[in-house]
Amino acid sequence: MSSDSITAASVPSAANARDLGKKKRANRSAKLKQCKLDARREQWLSQGTAKNRGFKEEQNGGVQCGKGGNRALENLEMSSRGEDMDRSIHQDSDLDSPSNSPTSATSSVLGGADSSTNFTGSGSSGSSSSSSSGGCCSGCITEDEEGGGEDDGDGLDDWETMADALAADEDKPQGQNPSSESESVAQVVSPRQVTDGTGLRDGDSKLECPKMVSGACGNSRAWRPDDAFRPRSLPNLSKQQSLPNPDRHYGGGGVAWASKSVVSAPTSCPICCEDLDGTDSSFLPCLCGFRLCLFCHKRILEEDARCPGCRKPYETDPIEAEASVNGGSLTFRLARCCSMITRS
Amino acid sequence: MMMMSGGGRGGRSSSASTATKTSSWAVSASGKRIQREMAELNMDPPPDCSAGPKGDNLYHWVATIVGPQGTPYEGGIYFLDITFPSDYPFNPPKVVFKTRMYHCNVDTAGNLSLDILKDSWSPALTVTKVLLAIRSFFTNPDPSDNPLIPGIARLYLADRAKHDELAAEWTRRFAK
Repeated sequence: MSSDSITAASVPSAANARDLGKKKRANRSAKLKQCKLDARREQWLSQGTAKNRGFKEEQNGGVQCGKGGNRALENLEMSSRGEDMDRSIHQDSDLDSPSNSPTSATSSVLGGADSSTNFTGSGSSGSSSSSSSGGCCSGCITEDEEGGGEDDGDGLDDWETMADALAADEDKPQGQNPSSESESVAQVVSPRQVTDGTGLRDGDSKLECPKMVSGACGNSRAWRPDDAFRPRSLPNLSKQQSLPNPDRHYGGGGVAWASKSVVSAPTSCPICCEDLDGTDSSFLPCLCGFRLCLFCHKRILEEDARCPGCRKPYETDPIEAEASVNGGSLTFRLARCCSMITRS
Repeated sequence: MMMMSGGGRGGRSSSASTATKTSSWAVSASGKRIQREMAELNMDPPPDCSAGPKGDNLYHWVATIVGPQGTPYEGGIYFLDITFPSDYPFNPPKVVFKTRMYHCNVDTAGNLSLDILKDSWSPALTVTKVLLAIRSFFTNPDPSDNPLIPGIARLYLADRAKHDELAAEWTRRFAK
């Protein structure tokens, strides 16, 4: 459970909240959950319109915010409210954050917009598990602050570990702990902000706002029509939407490396005239760039141990280093060797 | 009984095939390289040179070098025997002149003192490069660095005209 360890590391009170949420959720009935959900949604719709007005006036990037503002905030409020149930009940430390007045939450709601897209799972589970309705915005605010802090510190590291965690997460059974899943999805927020926000890692919610709100718009269409089915469907949707982008980045890099190594690979060993396989192609025993297969190299090492290309003695240490380099530096060496071969 | 005979046959055949495989690998390890060099020689022969297997044996070649123009060896055709060791190209081929020549680096038995055929051999060298190196000896003898026939080397340094005259005489007598 790599996701559990990560969330425990980044959010200290997450494990506590998860356990409580699990227990409470087990005691609630689905019908009650639905009724409360609808009621709160109406309540939040009325609050959200007022909040949205003031919020739009304060924003610089008001065009994008305003465009998706109504619908995004409407959905955002739904999920963030549910999520703040989770937070306000189970995380005592979060309760001393600013009060639930909409105006004080103007800037943090922007960050909450993004978290809401990924926190729909926790939102529903939180609302289902809690009957309290206090502290509407506090959870949202604290979550935003947590996310901002993570972005500042170790956003990229989190992303690398989270990619693995999410992959493992998909293998979990259906009856998994929703709050743990929401925590893991929450980690996705920070890398996505780093990658999409074009280097704006300082948690400046005003600058990051347009992208987040537009993301909320994209997500809101998926789950908005049937709120009753949010718990199961939405976590998967948010995962699918947050994952493909980084996957494409990594995949593209891999393809580039592969094509480079294929281009620079010579056809056959100049000594024995046998075809060079992948290991031989990435084997560069001498700085002069003369390549040969591993068999011939071993044989030469047993005899006079001089490079056939430059007649200088082979040095055994650089050979080992050469074989153990990772993909990136290996690509560099291949390119350099290719140029030397064409020159000679 | 059937099992035993079958097992015995299987063991024999497997050992025989292993032996064949080993020997064929030993042949093909150098043979593939030699065949590749032969194909390259036929595709792109070096100037004034030719080489090829003497008969069926891939490891015994005969090569010819035509005496380059502007040298006392001009017009002469010099035959060489090339013998590839079984561990070629890790060891150099043996090259021997079959045609007598008046040259300070070629002794009376036809052996030549060429560094790349001894200590400076590299597995990256080929027959083509060896023949080109020998051909460069025709135009530029090396009398200073341990010549095989010191008398010819001394004459080459002292009286170049006399040396060239004698070399041309030998070329007429032995190489045409």
